[in-house]
Amino acid sequence: MGKPGTPDLPRPIASQMEETMWTKRNRRYSATAMLFVIALILSACGGATPTTAPPQPTAPPPQPTEPPQPTQPPPPTEPPEPTAAPAELSVLEWAFYEVPEMWVEFGEAHPEVEVTFNFGASNPDIYAKTLAGSGEDIVHFYTPDLQFYVDEGLIQPIDTSKITHWDEIPAGFQESCTIEGVVYCVPWDWGFSSILYRTDKVPEGIDSWAAMFDERYAGHISMYDDATSVVPVTAHMLGYDERNLTDEQLEEIKQLWIEQRDLNLFYWVDEPTLEEGFTSGDIWLAFAWNGAYYRLLSAGVPVAYADPTEGRESWTGLYAISATTENYDLALEFLDGKLGEQTATHLLVDYAYGHVNPSFYEVVEDPNLVEALALDDPSILERTNFTVPISAEERDRWVQMWAEVQAAP
Amino acid sequence: MLKRTPAAWALMSPPALALVAFFVVPLILMAAFSLRPDIRGGLFTLAWRPTLEHYRTIVEGEVYLPLLWTSVRVAFGVAFFATLLAYPVAYFLVFRARQRGPLFLTLLILPFWTSYLLRIISWKIILGSNGLINSLLEYTGLVDEPVRLLLHSRLAVIVTLVYVWLPFVALPIYAALQRINRSLLEAAAILGAPPWLSFVRVTLPLSLPGVLAGFLMVFIPTVGEYVTPLLVGGSRGRLYGNTIETYFGDGNNWPLGSAMALIMLVGVLALVAIVARLVNLRRFVE
Repeated sequence: MGKPGTPDLPRPIASQMEETMWTKRNRRYSATAMLFVIALILSACGGATPTTAPPQPTAPPPQPTEPPQPTQPPPPTEPPEPTAAPAELSVLEWAFYEVPEMWVEFGEAHPEVEVTFNFGASNPDIYAKTLAGSGEDIVHFYTPDLQFYVDEGLIQPIDTSKITHWDEIPAGFQESCTIEGVVYCVPWDWGFSSILYRTDKVPEGIDSWAAMFDERYAGHISMYDDATSVVPVTAHMLGYDERNLTDEQLEEIKQLWIEQRDLNLFYWVDEPTLEEGFTSGDIWLAFAWNGAYYRLLSAGVPVAYADPTEGRESWTGLYAISATTENYDLALEFLDGKLGEQTATHLLVDYAYGHVNPSFYEVVEDPNLVEALALDDPSILERTNFTVPISAEERDRWVQMWAEVQAAP
Repeated sequence: MLKRTPAAWALMSPPALALVAFFVVPLILMAAFSLRPDIRGGLFTLAWRPTLEHYRTIVEGEVYLPLLWTSVRVAFGVAFFATLLAYPVAYFLVFRARQRGPLFLTLLILPFWTSYLLRIISWKIILGSNGLINSLLEYTGLVDEPVRLLLHSRLAVIVTLVYVWLPFVALPIYAALQRINRSLLEAAAILGAPPWLSFVRVTLPLSLPGVLAGFLMVFIPTVGEYVTPLLVGGSRGRLYGNTIETYFGDGNNWPLGSAMALIMLVGVLALVAIVARLVNLRRFVE
């Protein structure tokens, strides 16, 4: 809007007439009109701001279910005595994870360290910032992005011997940080992706990802607008290995989703929109994270979270240390603290997302939360397909496929 | 002609520099990006070989150019209807509202002082399945189930955009109508022209530059529009701008996005040039 170089055609005529024809009254009017044009342009520029910063399609966003409850007094933010040179640690983080409850142990152990946060809105955003040299010591991103960071040399290996809680992390999560035997990150938060559905609209229940393509639900389905979610889930449904998709297999996936567009009401990019769709009854089933399930369940909406025969999908949040950091040891301590009990408890209870360290799951008492994280049925997690790292080439192929699905005539 | 005095140079250089730094350089960067195979190896590295691969993807692909054509048609429709609706408004403001004109003009652009997003989202409330229109239809018994295609469709995109752009088109037309010398209309009346004829032969031709300015002001940005389709377009309402956004945003594929953006730029320029040629712009301007 308000593009530069907009043709300003009327002016020459005006200047031609100006000297001879304009009456006083016209002058007054045109001055007023000019004022309005200026006001309009100004307000249009104001209005254009959201155009350049649209709601970013967010990969697992850490939406809090409620404002974090500071059950612990926040650690002192200022060093008590300037005994040594003031240390700093910076983190490229998702919003809501910067609160002291999300790094309690480190805050208590190092009150003298000033932890600063910079924020990214989505996985691609965080990757682009890191690539452009944003320069934080620690970066928080989600599977399957790990490979890009390693390939571009943006992060460095983790010395797991210094992570005291490392052995408490289940092997599956450890593997999500390991590439060719080298550990590049510390896994921290996780959640499911599965089909969330209205039990009153879909009384027969859902036991397969194929429901996303079921014509009975035409106009009431919503898929998440993200290629790195679409491709793995479809590959698992068709029995393909998402790490080795042939062109034909990717083409098959593409055709499936092109046909699915007429059943799909909208592709969701942010959870509130999706949840609104469920609440209003427009959406009967959707690809969704367990956070949305928990919130809708707690709000009394009749929903269930499918346990498809192909398995649920799962995403994991990863913390890596910048290749150029000067605070490697401090960063390791920060990540170790992330695995501690107090921080884990806050993540589970305040935000309703999973923590990789299962030794603290007993603290969860809310039955809705137990249900949302499937803490009562470990077999679900065993059958879950964990998102695996992919290469940048692979990501480009997927994204192009998905963009062409949406652009198809 | 502007005199090349030191004062003129001093006054002109800041905007000229800003224009170069924020419009010309980014355009060149975008053109350079569109020739890169990918953005691996850092954003500003020089270690890459130029390739036309992305242009080939777009031209040979089955979806990109048809989508651009769809966007052009949507933009044309939006600009056309916005102009059609805005002309009577502007005409009323200039010729009928008299001294209350500025007041009505204020009322017309008042909604523009609220956020653009807010105005789009309010259309969701009007068009949604529990929205105003559907509630009315259900209440009157015309339909049993909400008409879902009101929202999440290309129609919703067009309706919303026409609304959003209406004041934008009305303003240039208002300005053009206001500059019409009233004595010309008087002369037409004296020579025996009925009001409709003096409108067709005098008012309309003289206001055409404003109409065209308003039309292009809407048409050009709408071709690349993407926020509105994202919010009210649903699965089938996507436009060319959405795909560009995908490649710059989630896709991390700036080269392909740049190539798409440049093709759109060239396409729109060509289209505007053709239109300008057809309607013989100079006749009005000179």
